[in-house]
Amino acid sequence: MPQLEASAALDFHSENYKDAYSRINAIVIEGEQEAYENYIQLAKLLPEHEEELIRLSKMEGRHKKGFEACGRNLQVTPDMEFAREFFAKLHQNFQDALAEGKVVTCLLIQALIIECFAIAAYNIYIPVADDFARKITEGVVKDEYSHLNFGEEWLKANFEASKEELEAANKQNLPIVWQMLNQVADDAHVLAMEKDALVEDFMIAYGEALSNIGFTTRDIMRMSAYGLAAA
Amino acid sequence: MFGLIGHLTSLEHAQLVARDLGYPEYADQGLDFWCSAPPQIVDKIKVTSITGQQIEGQYVESCFLPEMLANRRIKAATRKIVNAMAHAQKHGINITALGGFSSIIFENFNLNQITQVRNIKLEFERFTTGNTHTAYIISRQVEQASKELGIELSKATVAICGATGDIGSAVCRWLNERTDVAEMLLIARDRDRLQSLQEELGRGKIMGLEEALPLADIVVWVASMPKGVEIDSTVLKQPCLLIDGGYPKNLGTKIQHPGVYVLNGGIVEHSLDIDWKIMSIVNMDVPARQLFACFAESMLLEFEKWYTNFSWGRNQITVAKMEQIGEVSLKHGFRPLLSF
Repeated sequence: MPQLEASAALDFHSENYKDAYSRINAIVIEGEQEAYENYIQLAKLLPEHEEELIRLSKMEGRHKKGFEACGRNLQVTPDMEFAREFFAKLHQNFQDALAEGKVVTCLLIQALIIECFAIAAYNIYIPVADDFARKITEGVVKDEYSHLNFGEEWLKANFEASKEELEAANKQNLPIVWQMLNQVADDAHVLAMEKDALVEDFMIAYGEALSNIGFTTRDIMRMSAYGLAAA
Repeated sequence: MFGLIGHLTSLEHAQLVARDLGYPEYADQGLDFWCSAPPQIVDKIKVTSITGQQIEGQYVESCFLPEMLANRRIKAATRKIVNAMAHAQKHGINITALGGFSSIIFENFNLNQITQVRNIKLEFERFTTGNTHTAYIISRQVEQASKELGIELSKATVAICGATGDIGSAVCRWLNERTDVAEMLLIARDRDRLQSLQEELGRGKIMGLEEALPLADIVVWVASMPKGVEIDSTVLKQPCLLIDGGYPKNLGTKIQHPGVYVLNGGIVEHSLDIDWKIMSIVNMDVPARQLFACFAESMLLEFEKWYTNFSWGRNQITVAKMEQIGEVSLKHGFRPLLSF
């Protein structure tokens, strides 16, 4: 039986680590900022849930501040331009859906895909994070589950009417997630976050969300792996 | 509700099964994809005891493949197991057996140190390796199949390959206490463990595989290896009973020699048909009735409502516990596979 190799200790202050962190940290900050804006905009489409959505939005704003502190703690300047470019496609798809009043697509992008992506990344990051960032991230990941839950509950209640649009939105947006993961795989590796673990955790979180909404195992296996092979 | 955590025997097998079951997204993918694939519940199971009691279970495919060990994708391999366990727990399964390599990986890589998986705190009392029942069934196969072949245990030499493992050591204890077997040959890689086993038993000869095989009337193969091992069947005695308790089972196809009888070890037959699809996928001869004894252990624990990790840790299986699980195994209609 082969043995597990002991992983080398991470040097959080090495140039190599800080360079990779400048992009990963920026992605997280930008992700939280976009989530903050997206929930406010979603509140306009779902006025009956305005209070809840504004509450979620504020939480995302706090997360952003927490992650900014993580960057400062390591004396890293986040590469925000890289991060905005990184989210550009998903951002555009969300804005297009919003303009067309497509609540289901908006929820799939923000409340399912982005939240699951965040949950996967944070869960994989926690065991390899510096002490300061670990505490912040542990607090954040608990909140993110409640955001995922909002999307799940709404989509579950409107499952039959949403199914077709969810399938289409999944096809449109999931391949973008795989491209995003590929784009940061090398930087994530420097932070001791492995790509196959990230993909697996994303698929677990996303699969669970789809299952809670009402999809069958067969649907979930098809939908959650969509476009992965081509990525 | 009981659960079974299983996996397929190779990448090729996994691709074939995915295609058969109609999952094209999984069918054409290589090892990298499987290293990222999440666990899934792919089968619902109904089992009826000969007492009339009925229980339900679920089959969790962990997406682990033995190639992950061979290609040193160790982190992926360990992730598959803890993720499958978290998945089972999240679905409210009371008792789940870790089938195939799952329990071996769990033990070997000390996964008991991992108690938190995402937002789930793993409750180990919900899981069992199933090794007590497997060891019991293999021991009974030794006793019953030898009788059928006219091999008298009181005159027989039994070679146990993988003697220091969880199952191997339990089989040694049973043979020592419950039978009058003439000689036991203890084969394993770790010399220290072999010596402490020998001390515990107060008997048994420590030997290398090649040296032991020509002397054995019965070979119990319970070594765990991701890749198979070639056995030169021409050196074996005739008759020789070879009980293949490894996974995947491949000695039967490799060894075809007159006078050498290969029995699939650690397999039970149920008296009534089981409503499931998964055993035809792992190529059982009689898929509705035959299954791994470790899986049957979680069924027995569910029948008896013994919601506890009955088999856990390494080398803690006592003869008393084997007798205890053996009793309920018979009560609910399971028996050791005896057809060659």
